[in-house]
Amino acid sequence: MRKDLVFGMAGSGGDGIVSAGDSLLQAAAAEGYHGVMTKSFGSQIRGGESSCRVRISTDPILNPGGNLDVAVALNWEDFLKFGAELPVAGTTVVIYEAATNIKESEIPLVGVTPLQVIAVPIAAMAKETAGTERAKNTVVLGLIAGWFGIGAVAVMKGIRKKLAKKGEELVEANQRAFDAGRAFAMEHPLKTSMNVVASETKGAVKLITDGNDMCAAAAIFAGCQFFGGYPITPSTEIMQFFTDHVWKYGGAVLQAEDEIAGIGAAVGASFAGKKAMTATSGPGLSLKSEMMGLASIAELPLVIVDVQRGGPSTGLPTKTEQSDLFAAAFSAHGDVIRPVMAPTSVADTFRITIEAFNIAEYYQTPVIVLSDQEIASRKETLDPIDTSQFKIINRLRPAGADLQDYKRFKQTENHISPISHPGMLGGTYLASGIEHVESGAPTNSGSVHQRMNDKRTKKFDPLKDRRDLFEITGNPDAPIAMVAWGSVAGVCREALAMAQAEGLNVKLLVPYLLYPVAEGVYNDFFASTQKGLIIEQTHLAQTFKLLRMHIDLPKGVKSLARSGANPFLPGEIVAALHHLLSELQRSHEGQLQPQE
Amino acid sequence: MSATGTCEFQPKDYKSDLKPIWCPGCGDFSVVQGIYRALAAIGRPPHEIAFVSGIGCSSRIPGYTTAYGFNSVHGRSLPIAQGIKLANPDLLVLAAGGDGDGFSIGGGHIAHLIRRNMDITYIVMDNQIYGLTKGQLSPTSQKGRVTCTSRYGSLENPVNPLLYVLAYGAGFVAQASPTDLVGMAATIEEAIRYPGFAFVNIQSPCVTYGEEAQQIKGLKAISETLASLGHNPADRLAAMDLAQHYGEKLHLGVFYRNPEPPPTYGDLVKERQTLLSKDALPKERILDLFIKK
Repeated sequence: MRKDLVFGMAGSGGDGIVSAGDSLLQAAAAEGYHGVMTKSFGSQIRGGESSCRVRISTDPILNPGGNLDVAVALNWEDFLKFGAELPVAGTTVVIYEAATNIKESEIPLVGVTPLQVIAVPIAAMAKETAGTERAKNTVVLGLIAGWFGIGAVAVMKGIRKKLAKKGEELVEANQRAFDAGRAFAMEHPLKTSMNVVASETKGAVKLITDGNDMCAAAAIFAGCQFFGGYPITPSTEIMQFFTDHVWKYGGAVLQAEDEIAGIGAAVGASFAGKKAMTATSGPGLSLKSEMMGLASIAELPLVIVDVQRGGPSTGLPTKTEQSDLFAAAFSAHGDVIRPVMAPTSVADTFRITIEAFNIAEYYQTPVIVLSDQEIASRKETLDPIDTSQFKIINRLRPAGADLQDYKRFKQTENHISPISHPGMLGGTYLASGIEHVESGAPTNSGSVHQRMNDKRTKKFDPLKDRRDLFEITGNPDAPIAMVAWGSVAGVCREALAMAQAEGLNVKLLVPYLLYPVAEGVYNDFFASTQKGLIIEQTHLAQTFKLLRMHIDLPKGVKSLARSGANPFLPGEIVAALHHLLSELQRSHEGQLQPQE
Repeated sequence: MSATGTCEFQPKDYKSDLKPIWCPGCGDFSVVQGIYRALAAIGRPPHEIAFVSGIGCSSRIPGYTTAYGFNSVHGRSLPIAQGIKLANPDLLVLAAGGDGDGFSIGGGHIAHLIRRNMDITYIVMDNQIYGLTKGQLSPTSQKGRVTCTSRYGSLENPVNPLLYVLAYGAGFVAQASPTDLVGMAATIEEAIRYPGFAFVNIQSPCVTYGEEAQQIKGLKAISETLASLGHNPADRLAAMDLAQHYGEKLHLGVFYRNPEPPPTYGDLVKERQTLLSKDALPKERILDLFIKK
C-alpha cells in the first residue's frame, strides 16, 4: 500500500486532461487525501498539448512531486513535449493509448525502463461505452480508480454534479465509460499493487483553490478595495476574481487599457485612501516600473503581484520561472527600496498577500509579491484556515495635532509620516513624483534630496528584523545548508525531509521576504555553514547574486540554478547534498593530513 | 453628491502659496486664474477636490491650488484620476496637462476615459510646443514647424485634439483661451458641472518658445466665439465640422454638450455595488468560496 502517488497525464487540448485532473483532485479531497495539481500547456489558445500532474497523499504535500508514479499518455507526441515536467523513471507505471499502435516494448521513452507499461484502448472504450471519444478522460479516471483505489465513488459523484445540468443521458454515458475503465483495471491487475491507503480524515471539510484565486481572496480579506490591471498570462485570474467579488465589498475593479493605466489607477485609488492592487507577469512588470517609482517617492501603499513566467520578453508565457527577482528588487530607476515578498504554496499565498498589504500600508510603499506560474495555477487541497489569526494593518492617518499645519512628509523618528487623503479637512497636500520638502512642495535641493532618500530607505530597517518572514527547518547548527524560495522551496522542503531520513545533517532557509535582504537573518543562518546550495529556477543565479551583494556567503555555498520549465526534483537535490557532504568529509581529511 | 457645495468660497481660497515656475507672461497664469474662479463659482471646499496632472510646464498647476494635488508622471494623469474617482466618487476630480502629456506620451488613455464616461474634467493647456524641455516639436505643432528637434521643419501633421475627443464620443467638449479670461472661467465651470467626462482645450501661449502667431495678439486675431456663430452645442456633427478648423481658427466656447447625459461610470459602479453587496460573505469568511462539498 502506498501513502503517496504522483500522476502525470498528457494529451492534446481537447482530450480533457485538465478536467480529469480536476475530477481526480476533488475526489481525492472528498476521500480525505491531501492533493496538489499543476497544469502545463503549450501556448496555443485551443488544441496544442496539455498536461497536468496530480499528487495525492495521506500526509500534507510539500510540492507537486518528482518522478511520476503513474504516467498517462493519450498520445506520445504531446506527452514528450513536456520533457522534464513529466519525468518517467524505473518506478513508473506507464499507461498509454493503444490506438497509438506502439508496442509496449517500443514506447518512445529514451534511457528508461518503466516498472510496467500498459497499452489501453482508451478511445475505443470511450466510443463503445459513451458513444464518443470525448469520454476518454472518464475512462482514464476509471482506470485510476481501478488500479490505485482513488475515487471509486467520489469521481462519479463529482462528475454527476458537474454534468447535472446537461442531462441524465450524458451522466449515464460517463458512468459507463468510468465503469469500463475500472473493469479493465480489475481484469488486468498491476504486477506490483499500488493502491493508496485510505485516509483517516475522510469527510473532513477541504478547500480547493489555486494561487491566483487565493491571492485575490487574501487581498479582499486584507481590505483591498481597488484592483487595476490588464490581462496577462498567468496572472489574469486575479483580476477575474476581483471582477466577480470586489463589488460586494464596496470596491471596484478597472480592466485598464494597458499595464501602465492599470497600475496608474491603483496608484490613484491608494492616493484617494483605499487599499489598492495590481497584478501582472514579467512584461507587465517592465511596463509598470515608472509607476512603481512614483508610488515609492509619493510614499503610497500599493501591492503589485508579479506571477512570474519564463522571460525575457514574451519568453515562456505558460511556464514557471523565478527570473523576475532582479526586475522586482531593482524595478525602477533611482535609489529606492521596494519590498519583495514570495509565497511558496497556495496555502501560504493567503498569509503572504496579507503581509504584503500590511507592509505596504505600514511603510507606505509599493510591495511586490513574486508569485510564479506554478503556484498561481496549481490547485491544492487545504484544511480550513482560521482567518481570525491574521492582523490587518492600516496606514497611519493624521489626527488632531497633525492636521494643524499638516506636513505630509514630516520627518519622524521612524521615518513614517501620517498620510491624509482627499476628502480629509486640513490634510491637503501635493503628492508628486518630483522631489519634495516635508510639506510636499517641489524642490531641487540636494540636501533635501539626501534627507528624503534617507527617510524613504531607513524606514525599512525594522522590516529586516521580521524573522517571522523567514522559515528555518532542519538542524539550525547543521554544516550543510540550502536556501530556496517560491515554488522551488516546496521541492527543497521535501528534499530536506528525505536527506534527514538518510541521516544527513542539513538545514533549509526559506525567505518569504526577498528584498530588502535581511543580512542579519542570513548571517545567523550561515554561521554554522560549511557547504550549501542556493537553489533557484533562474539561468543567471539571480538569488545567489542578490545575496552575494549583501552578505559574505561562506565559501562552500554554491549556486544550483537552472532556467524555468525545468523543474527540480527532490531526489536530485538530495544527491547534490550527498555530494556536498562527501566534499566536506574530503576537506576534513585534507585538514588532518596536510599535503605538500 | 452634486458638484455644488454649500459654503461660500472666493477664488483666492483655491490659490496656494507656491510660486509658479512659469515664465512671465505664460498663458498658464491665466488658466490657473480661470480655474480659481470656476472652483469658487462651484463652491466645493478645496479638500474635496483632487487635481491630477502629468509632467510639463502646465502640469505644475495642481500645486498652485489648495486642492489635494497629484503632480504625477509624464502622460499618466488620466489613469490616476480614474483610480481616484473610482475609489472615492464623491470627490471633484480634475486632470490637467499639456498637449504632449495628453496627446503624445499619454495619448492612449483619453479614448478609454471617454468610453468609460467617468465624471472627470480634463483641461489641456495646448501650446503646440514642449516648453519644459526647452522647445521641441509637440503633437499639436503645425507641419513644417521649425523647432530644435525639427531644424528643417516638421514632417508630421498635428493631432486635432477637439476632433479626437469628439470622435471618441466625449459628452462635453469645449475650447477656451486666455484671450478671454471671463469666458474661460465660465467654460471651465460648465465643464466641471457637466455630469460625465468633460474636455476643455485651452490655447495657452508659450511666451518663450511659441511662435508669434500663437501669442495673445495672434490668437485674438483668429478667435471667434461659437455663440457668435450661432452654433448649437447639442449638435455633435456641427461641432465636428467646426472642430476641423483647429489650428486655423480659434473657436471659443462649447463645441458639444450631450443634451441628455447618460449615466456615468460611477453611477453604474454604485448600482452594481448595491446590487451585489446583498450576497456578500463576510470578509473573514471569504475562503468559504473554496470549500468543496
